[in-house]
Amino acid sequence: MLRRTGLLLAGAVFVMWAVATLTFFAIRLIPGDPAQAILGGPGSQASQEALDQVRRDYGLDQPLIVQYLAMLGRLLTGDLGTSYALKVPVAELLGAQLGGTLLLAVLSLAVAWVLALALSLWSTGRSRIATVLGEWIELAAAALPHFWFAAVLIAVFSTALGWFPPVATGTPAGLVLPVVTLAVPLAGFLAQVMRESLLDAMQQPFVVSARARGEGALGIRLRHTIRHAALPGISLSGWALGWLLSGAVVVETIFAMPGLGRTLLQAVTLRDIPIVTGVVLLIALVYVVMTILTDAASRLADPRLRRQAAAR
Amino acid sequence: MPAALTAATRRFGLLSIALVGAIVLAGCQSTQPEASGGDPVPGGTLTYASGDGEPTCLDPHVGGNYPQALLAGQFLESLVSRDETGEIIPWLAESWEVAGDGLAWEFTLREGVTFTDGTPLDAESVKVNVEHLKNPDTQSSTGYLALGKVETVEVVSDRVARFVLSTPDSALLESLSQPWVAIESPTGIARGMEENCQAPVGTGPFIVDEWVKQDHVTLVRNDDYTSPPADAAHEGPAYLEAIEWRFVPDSASRYAALQGGQVDVIDNPQPDTIAAAEGSDSLAWLDAPRPGASNRIELNGGQVPFDDERVREAFIRAVEVDDGIEALFFGTAERSFSPLSSVESLAYSDGSLFEPDPDRANALLDEAGWTERDADGTRMKDGTRLTLRFPVSTNQSIPAEQSLFEQVQATAKAAGFDVVIELLDLSSWYGALAAHEYEIVSAPYTKVGPDVLRILYHSDSIAPAPSGYFANLAQLADPAVDSLLEEAAATSDAAIRAELYEEAQRLILGGHHLLPLYDQQNSFLLSGDVQGARAIPTVSTPTFYDAWLAD
Amino acid sequence: MSELELRQTTVAASAQHLLLTRRPRLPRVGTLLAFAFVLFLVVATFAPALVATQDPNLIAPTEAFRAPSAAHWFGTDESGRDVYSRVVAGTGTSLLIGVSATLIGLVLGLALGLLASFGGRIFDFGVNRVIEVLFAFPGLLLALLVIVIAGPGPVTATIAVGLSTAPGYARIIRGQFVSIRSAPYVEAARVLGRSPARIVTRHVIPNALVPLFVLATLGIGQAIVWAAALSYLGLGAQPPAAEWGAMLAAGRTYLATAWWMTVFPGLMIVGTTIATTVLGRALARRGKDA
Repeated sequence: MLRRTGLLLAGAVFVMWAVATLTFFAIRLIPGDPAQAILGGPGSQASQEALDQVRRDYGLDQPLIVQYLAMLGRLLTGDLGTSYALKVPVAELLGAQLGGTLLLAVLSLAVAWVLALALSLWSTGRSRIATVLGEWIELAAAALPHFWFAAVLIAVFSTALGWFPPVATGTPAGLVLPVVTLAVPLAGFLAQVMRESLLDAMQQPFVVSARARGEGALGIRLRHTIRHAALPGISLSGWALGWLLSGAVVVETIFAMPGLGRTLLQAVTLRDIPIVTGVVLLIALVYVVMTILTDAASRLADPRLRRQAAAR
Repeated sequence: MPAALTAATRRFGLLSIALVGAIVLAGCQSTQPEASGGDPVPGGTLTYASGDGEPTCLDPHVGGNYPQALLAGQFLESLVSRDETGEIIPWLAESWEVAGDGLAWEFTLREGVTFTDGTPLDAESVKVNVEHLKNPDTQSSTGYLALGKVETVEVVSDRVARFVLSTPDSALLESLSQPWVAIESPTGIARGMEENCQAPVGTGPFIVDEWVKQDHVTLVRNDDYTSPPADAAHEGPAYLEAIEWRFVPDSASRYAALQGGQVDVIDNPQPDTIAAAEGSDSLAWLDAPRPGASNRIELNGGQVPFDDERVREAFIRAVEVDDGIEALFFGTAERSFSPLSSVESLAYSDGSLFEPDPDRANALLDEAGWTERDADGTRMKDGTRLTLRFPVSTNQSIPAEQSLFEQVQATAKAAGFDVVIELLDLSSWYGALAAHEYEIVSAPYTKVGPDVLRILYHSDSIAPAPSGYFANLAQLADPAVDSLLEEAAATSDAAIRAELYEEAQRLILGGHHLLPLYDQQNSFLLSGDVQGARAIPTVSTPTFYDAWLAD
Repeated sequence: MSELELRQTTVAASAQHLLLTRRPRLPRVGTLLAFAFVLFLVVATFAPALVATQDPNLIAPTEAFRAPSAAHWFGTDESGRDVYSRVVAGTGTSLLIGVSATLIGLVLGLALGLLASFGGRIFDFGVNRVIEVLFAFPGLLLALLVIVIAGPGPVTATIAVGLSTAPGYARIIRGQFVSIRSAPYVEAARVLGRSPARIVTRHVIPNALVPLFVLATLGIGQAIVWAAALSYLGLGAQPPAAEWGAMLAAGRTYLATAWWMTVFPGLMIVGTTIATTVLGRALARRGKDA
């Protein structure tokens, strides 16, 4: 148990380090002068002295390896640096945004789960038509681009029907459309995977014997097979979160919600390196935590995995 | 174990249904605003949704772009303003005098005005502001340029400040009317850039209360307000209690929010929504084209192929934009034939130079030696294709404009031009310009007054700043134009100035250096509740000083 | 291998098993429809002039924003161009982006997966960590960085999308290989003394290919959708390219006034995703049965 935890933590630290390094070098590839980004962005008329001063102040004239080590050193103390454009500490800025994005992602994941579970339960192991319909709905849902789906939802549920606001309002009502935008395509993905496991489970001997005992179809679904359907969903949740964070970039922009996605987009446009680095690291951290959690959840949900662990 | 799971699942299911139901109920809202005229009603919060990008610093002395101007117009004021006819009118300065040789301007400040932190408005504070602008540490771009000819400011008395110039500047008043040289509290400035960026202190009708990055800025009423410009509709404090300024980047959502009543005013509306609002009873359209240059396509005369005037004229004659402008902008944008915005009284326009004439275009290109053709019809000369690189900034060009550029591309193709459009983000776009990797480009420039012609078309502007940026994108280096613009900038005689600028524009247009399209579109859509809002005729930013909510 | 990985391998294996053994053998209506649609796509890619009704780039501003009619089956766009013809003309580019991005993702994923399964424990551990790192980068961010570095356009968009889907494929492929590796016939081959290379090429890869193929067909539609998101952000195909994603993004602005500009390209994307996946599964079944 201890060994296992140690390995997990070591893996997590490795991932964070690798992400920081990759980001550092990838960003250096972006064309454009960071000193200019600091001095008010593109099109500014900064003087040569100002540019030189900034390069000295921010250590931009040091050799690359020195800058890299300096960045690592700062990270170890939790210092994410100062935003070039906004001139405030990155940690402060991102701390305010993290909550919003996480809420959006977690809610979307939960709703996607429910939708996927419902769809796969409803359409599996019954009539041929239900199965085909279910498959096509899954595929169509998974193929919906966020920016397009959001526009349709706003046009129908906001402009035409007036049920929900088209931009974030700080109330739960303002979360509904963004969450649905993210949840439906994800549900399409999850449903496809869940359906396969569900089908598998439905053919198992314990289900056959349950039917023989006279249990109804719904009862079988809820009592025996739902765990089998849910399992792949759990292990995919880590990936799903990453996917949701990508979608959040578009959704936060469209619905004017403060969040990491929107911050990231603006930072890339403005070449604001500290913010880009900070957001990437934060996302990596969330992902790593999520992986650890889903590992634990999998073992909890699947007795086979627990038995394996006990046998070690 | 399975039984427990099932019960839990059932409970979860019921809970989620209840949650969704509650949310649906909470989300129901009414959407009907009421139209009414009548007397101003004090109170209320106006919600403004801006698509213009969030400023990185609220102090317009730092940098100096339009998003900053939009906000600063609510809480900062300048020495002078401009009225609808283009006349300079008093604001924080109640009168001014210029010394005979044009090298000294004396401004007498309004009496009894204080900044919202209690500091009095006096000549010393004006001096501090000008020094702030000229200080490289402030990183001012626009304001710095605007005061390029001001050497120092002398304090003559408590209420009189003397601007000492290095050369006469006929554009000084126009420059001083802009929000980028607004007068801030010296005490506020002394707090340092980080704090002053968060909430600059001014004399305006509203005060910056808080700025939640990426979300909104809250402005509250200045109850001690005493300094409206000469063309304001009333005196004393504003009617509105507060303004909530939100940043909503997506244009469709912005408009949906206006329709749904979540916001009261939006900017940068898409043309089709403007047309819809025009026809609707519950929305109003405030059309306020920006001053300075018109929206134009500039031809890079500094390199092949546009170093040849015949090729420039051929391009202009080949391209058709009138039908496109009409269709894409739904009739809300008028074709311009001038390098200057239509709000500039000195704008000179000549439509005859821009009548499409494909035959003439082809004849000119043949004459200029571009007679070979390659496989897809592009003209060639000595093995070089007639390719025109067209970097387009997606941050500056709305979709309708991007579509118009596609039409330019298509109609130019008929004459044998191969226009290559590159959609770039803002930083990459500046990079392409700095590296001269363009043959045609559309770059807006907002400035009050015809002096903008000097910035855009004087040969001095070809030299790049250390950042690589230069304003003379047409690479125009014509000594005749240079001397006209210099003379116009120096003369104090209004009639002579008008003549000089007209002649300069005639030369600029006649040299086929640009293709004017339309004014810099600057529209605002207001919900029917909002009364009394107008655009300040300086840089056409909206002011809500006289505004009230008819609810 | 960790418990989580065991779980994932089991999922992958059972998915493969189910995909191939659950359905009846005769071609169904769905499959025929999918086949017809894909045929149309192929013709539109290689001979667009045969199915398009007009010049996709013909500007006619006075005909802008016309609703679908007999003259314009899908209506006209903001510059008066025939939307149907543009959709047809855009088939080649869109499919190319989708297929290329998927190929890039698959090839990279295959390489990583092979390395992890057959390179020994160290490689397995190392590659797994690499995959996790890549997963931790949100796909869109990766795409944004690639495009900002290399400039916009369909090529960089393709590479960007391919790179961001690679880790997903790698993980699934690795799971496939691991489950196949412990299959009886591989055991037998090993006992019989066959070389590892031969085992891989004759037993492992062919058996892994089929579910991969199915995954890939689903991936094509996904890649097109990602590229569309990049176009929405202004970083995808350049004008006047009639790429579906770009049309979808551009048309979204006019959703209230001219819904046909965005709905039809959107239907094409969804249709392609469904058709390729259905056809892929049908072909996989045939291949398995043969």
